[in-house]
Amino acid sequence: MNLTKIRKDVAVVGAGMTVFARRLQETGKEMSWEAAKMALDEAGLTLKDIDAVILGSAPDAFDGVHKKGDWLLDGAGGTNKPFMRVYTGGGTAVFAPIAGWWHVASGMFKRVLVVCEEKMSSVQPHAQSAFAHIWDPILDRPLKPNLVWIFAMEMQRYMHKYNVRYEDIALVAVKNKRNAVGHPCAQLADPNITLDDVINSEPMALPVRRLDISPPSDGASAIVLVSEDVAYEHTDTPVWIDGVGWCIDTTMWTNRDLAFPKFVARAAKMAYEMAGIKNPRKEIDFAEPYDPFDYKELQHLEGLLLADPGEAAIMTREGKTQRDGEFPVCPSGGLLGVGNPIAATLGIKIGEVYWQLARKAGPRQVKKDVRTGVTQAWGDLMQFSAVIVMRRR
Amino acid sequence: MIERIEKATEIRHWLGDMEADHYYYSSGIAGERFFVALRDEGKILGSHCAACNLTYVPPRIYCEHCFAELTEYKEMGKRGCVVTFTVAHYDKAGHRLDPPEIFALISFGPCTTPLLHRLGEIEPEKICVGLEVEAVLKPKKDREGKITDILYFKPAK
Ligand SMILES: [Zn+2]
Repeated sequence: MNLTKIRKDVAVVGAGMTVFARRLQETGKEMSWEAAKMALDEAGLTLKDIDAVILGSAPDAFDGVHKKGDWLLDGAGGTNKPFMRVYTGGGTAVFAPIAGWWHVASGMFKRVLVVCEEKMSSVQPHAQSAFAHIWDPILDRPLKPNLVWIFAMEMQRYMHKYNVRYEDIALVAVKNKRNAVGHPCAQLADPNITLDDVINSEPMALPVRRLDISPPSDGASAIVLVSEDVAYEHTDTPVWIDGVGWCIDTTMWTNRDLAFPKFVARAAKMAYEMAGIKNPRKEIDFAEPYDPFDYKELQHLEGLLLADPGEAAIMTREGKTQRDGEFPVCPSGGLLGVGNPIAATLGIKIGEVYWQLARKAGPRQVKKDVRTGVTQAWGDLMQFSAVIVMRRR
Repeated sequence: MIERIEKATEIRHWLGDMEADHYYYSSGIAGERFFVALRDEGKILGSHCAACNLTYVPPRIYCEHCFAELTEYKEMGKRGCVVTFTVAHYDKAGHRLDPPEIFALISFGPCTTPLLHRLGEIEPEKICVGLEVEAVLKPKKDREGKITDILYFKPAK
């Protein structure tokens, strides 16, 4: 793998995102347009300036149309341009930006728009119905699995192997729902939520309870990526993508290490090597890991080598991962606080790292001076991870 | 929670479906051996990769790590132990399960891949990781060559 001789450095110069909510009225194309327009406006660009467009969106089954890439094409601004859709489930939120990155880093394109969209409210009776077809049809489906169950089994294994207390995991949900207060797009912000609220919420598939989960949502997010050749034409505060990595574990979820996400660690090592990071704990100032469940934030911090296995729970208990703590985690409010329109969580992952590093995060701005951030998303059938390291120079 | 329109039917909408909703999934070469052995002999088979020292349960014809062809089939027995589990209060359609159902990954020994199945004849509070369990099969005459020929796993005697 060549992780050093990349042709062009790539910067984020604009980001946009819609409100995350159940948005029955707007079409997916309309939401894509809204987010893309915001990102272009922030970058001071028009669609005419864009050389190529990347679209990220999760299963076609959510929308009930095949080839969702070209279905959403016009709202994403791809008409008459080089265009591609990428899809790695929830991982799309960070993987679509990586696809945008290689378009620019290769030297082929100077200005690329990346748009991620999800509308989960179209599918009836519930988005779970679309998830029913991600399982192995012969071994899993006859047992009628519900997606929450496999997460519950993973969480159980994680708690067992590393002696993690449920109370410490639940603190992640409290932190993120509180962090989301002040996020203009938040669906699930709650300034008054307490640990008892989470612990006493309804059992879904134990150990998972209702408030441990981020529910389905609708929304879109976008970023503009530009080459080093033109970055300072558009902004005084470009935020650089200095490392990218991605990795996928075996298809058979039963056969993975359910306690430690090795594929996250592999993706992280790839991104860190590219970014020249030798000691991630010392060199990274804050993180936006993927948090569709509270325990995932902890597992992902450990996979990102920012905590030892089991240690992320202790960091959470000690308050270190609070927005004003020594290592802020999910200052955006994350999926647990802002919402979980799968691919569109781009706005609270790479989008948040961009806003934080450009000091544009408003009331969410972390207090300490942050120069290096990492973000990560997790997807496919809980086996894929994409990691991006970003810096302000 | 922001929900400007509560019901999908309150807005102008078109009802649709993706009509090709029937598929034939085949069990494959290794899958055929697994399900026939389960149906006819009540055996749970795996296939072994000597190079990786890993036994796949159910069996496969290749090892995904080293790409070797796997020809060595092994009978795993009916006893295993719980790797992890969950107590499910909702089914896949979001309906309440009363009583809750228990699902677990069962391992048939070190260096084998675990199998997803139900647990039965046990109270949820009594389950722990590492619990020894054994498979309860349907009577031979009722077996169809499906994973549900195993009814569930119960605590081993
Ligand atoms: Zn092998």
